[in-house]
Amino acid sequence: MTRLTLITGLIGTVILAALILIALFAQQIAPGDPLQMVGRPLLSPFADPRFPLGTTQLGRDVWAGLVHGARVSLTVSATAAAAVILIGILVGTLSGFLGGYVDDVLMRITEAVQSIPAFLLALALVSVLGASVTSVVVAIALSSWPPSARLVRAEVLRVRTLDYVDAARVAGRSPLAIAFLEVLPGALQPVVALIGITVGEAILVESALAFLGLSDPNLQSWGLMVASGRATLRVAPLLVILPGLAIALASLSVSLAGDALAARLSEGRRA
Amino acid sequence: MANKFCRHLRVGLAGGLIIVLALVTGKPAFAEKVKRGATFTVASDTEYRSINPAIVASNGVFFIASKIVEPLAEMDYETGLRPVLATKWQGSKDGLSITFTLRKGVTWHDGKPFTSADVAFSAMKVWKPLQNLGRTIFANLESVDTPDKSTAVFRFSKPTPLQLIENALPAVSAVLPKHRYEGTDIKNNPLNAAPIGTGPFTFGEHKPGEFYRLDRNPNYWDKGKPYLDRIVYRVMPDAGAKAAALETGDIQLTAFSAVPLIEMARLDAIKGISVIRGGYEGITYHIVLEINHRRKELANPLVRQALRHAIDSKFIVDVVFLGFANASTGPVPSTATDFYTKDVPMYAFDTNRAEELLDKAGYPRDADGKRFSLKLRPAPWFQMTRDTGDYVRQALQKVGIDVKLVTADPGGHIRAVYKEHDFDLSIGSPVWRNDPAISTTILFQGGLPAGVPFANQYGYDDQEMNSLIARAARELNRNARIKLYHDFQRKVTEDLPILNLVDFTFITVARDEVRNVSNNPRWATSSWADTWIDQ
Repeated sequence: MTRLTLITGLIGTVILAALILIALFAQQIAPGDPLQMVGRPLLSPFADPRFPLGTTQLGRDVWAGLVHGARVSLTVSATAAAAVILIGILVGTLSGFLGGYVDDVLMRITEAVQSIPAFLLALALVSVLGASVTSVVVAIALSSWPPSARLVRAEVLRVRTLDYVDAARVAGRSPLAIAFLEVLPGALQPVVALIGITVGEAILVESALAFLGLSDPNLQSWGLMVASGRATLRVAPLLVILPGLAIALASLSVSLAGDALAARLSEGRRA
Repeated sequence: MANKFCRHLRVGLAGGLIIVLALVTGKPAFAEKVKRGATFTVASDTEYRSINPAIVASNGVFFIASKIVEPLAEMDYETGLRPVLATKWQGSKDGLSITFTLRKGVTWHDGKPFTSADVAFSAMKVWKPLQNLGRTIFANLESVDTPDKSTAVFRFSKPTPLQLIENALPAVSAVLPKHRYEGTDIKNNPLNAAPIGTGPFTFGEHKPGEFYRLDRNPNYWDKGKPYLDRIVYRVMPDAGAKAAALETGDIQLTAFSAVPLIEMARLDAIKGISVIRGGYEGITYHIVLEINHRRKELANPLVRQALRHAIDSKFIVDVVFLGFANASTGPVPSTATDFYTKDVPMYAFDTNRAEELLDKAGYPRDADGKRFSLKLRPAPWFQMTRDTGDYVRQALQKVGIDVKLVTADPGGHIRAVYKEHDFDLSIGSPVWRNDPAISTTILFQGGLPAGVPFANQYGYDDQEMNSLIARAARELNRNARIKLYHDFQRKVTEDLPILNLVDFTFITVARDEVRNVSNNPRWATSSWADTWIDQ
């Protein structure tokens, strides 16, 4: 692992940890509902100690919005990424281990889903399912699992030919047990590396959906803040810049931390 | 009487404005010498497949088409209604016929003369069967007789108030050339995309994604007009781009509040650009809280009164509309001076009173401080309807009503509210169209089938209200009719079937060299024959 990866990885991890803390203690840091219109509209930052980052066009506290937005963004993207990885593992392992017809069918489905742009598919799903946190998670999960499935399949194809798997087969273990208990753990390392990218992408998709007004309207999220700040871009650009920075920072930190983790794991494998 | 007073007031105000303008600019604001021959460039949001105003009577279509195809009469600040293609009209005593005397010496853009046959054809073959508004207004129109080339007699099967037809004329009576439409598939006639009319401008060119161009009609019946050589509508969907283009002078005007409200103050402060609020009185929008009376809590009039007391219209005006709106008192906007009355029950913003009423209705706060939960669907088409939804949620939570926002795309919203009735509350934006019978009574009329959009789908069906609406619809006497609509406004504000929160009209932003802007109540959708540019 190079020095640079180490440093960026550290930075990423620190920022991510800070964001997670903010998300966990959002209610303590900025009590109340961040959607409440509490102050004079369009206060600039530092003008009023009650609203350190000012207020939006509707008089909402920008700081409270950012804090609570972290909670929405991180929850949605972590859940969605977990679902993506789970679907990927399931489909990839079955497909790679069983081969034959199962592999053909599963891979054709994967390719079919992959041929639709992930964001468009998510957009379509949310408009059908209705705008709520659950449907955003479902939409992200259902539209972005193919890459992880293909990665897991490739790894399983490699691992299943190794000697220890043959040994397990000779020992008479059931095929499913071999697939998930013997092959999968050996194939997991690159998947762990994929988590960083997946979470980062999920943050962006969630924000983009919110920007288009397709997120839960009862929750303040970063994408929603950018969308409603757009009307005031010329007058109060910070209302777009601040949540935009938050989105960038969150996806960047996840991605940096993920890269470092991947580098670490591959070193372990070579050793 | 009141009307006359308002007119005097308006003239007085206009006079005062002229004097102020003259003082400020140091030059007389009137009797300026008209300069001819300019190109007028304006911003346009959307491109339409058909810009035939006789079929699609909508503001977006009129914005372009009203310069090409003319109605029988147009709204006017001084006289109420100004003759255009009709010079005179007279209703019969029994309300069964209206005789229009048509303007002589008018020709179509292709050179053929305009006659009563065109009016009869447009009324019977287009307005009545095909037009969105005409279907209701001309439902009882039986025939149009043409005793000579410049007379058209409209015959109705049931008594029809002249006032209703007069108020409808500007929007519903665009006349099409019979010789170009007869025997064709009217809805798919290629002229719908490049209309031929009698108006001051002829259709020039439409370059999709770029512009519409209209050219001066040298043979216009109002000799000497129009003053402009051409009008160019630049297609610019982005609001921020429009503001920038105004500043650089690439465009000279935006209508229909196309620039974000928040930019208005900034633009107004720029020398050479003015923000103009007038010129839309004929197309006022309401923001209303639609209520589903099928919910037992909301069927209780005390609860609806409590909702009215809990919502501060002034907050919506100040924060959501940045002052560019008026708090409503009832279902008729105060800009409609003929029909408006403020002699109705008023509900001051008073959360204590709201809580008392909710307690009295039998819905006390529970251990969590909640009385009951409601689902609120804000209409997704305006930023303002969405923002109002956010505010109403917060306002009702303050008095213990838990509100959950539910959003959908426009199609999904219309289906959920007006067809499936899958809502408790909804923020809607009905339009006022100059006469309660055209635009407003349909929001209160009982017994409409499910699926009629922007109409009473609220489960409200009141005998007294229905009979009041029916009586007003057949009342021929002008004053008696107005009085019935005053009763109607009182009945609405007593029952509160839906809550009128605020009224707003659009805003024009124009560069100062454009003259005669907003000089009639439907200016953006009128002919612009007298518009000119001081260049």
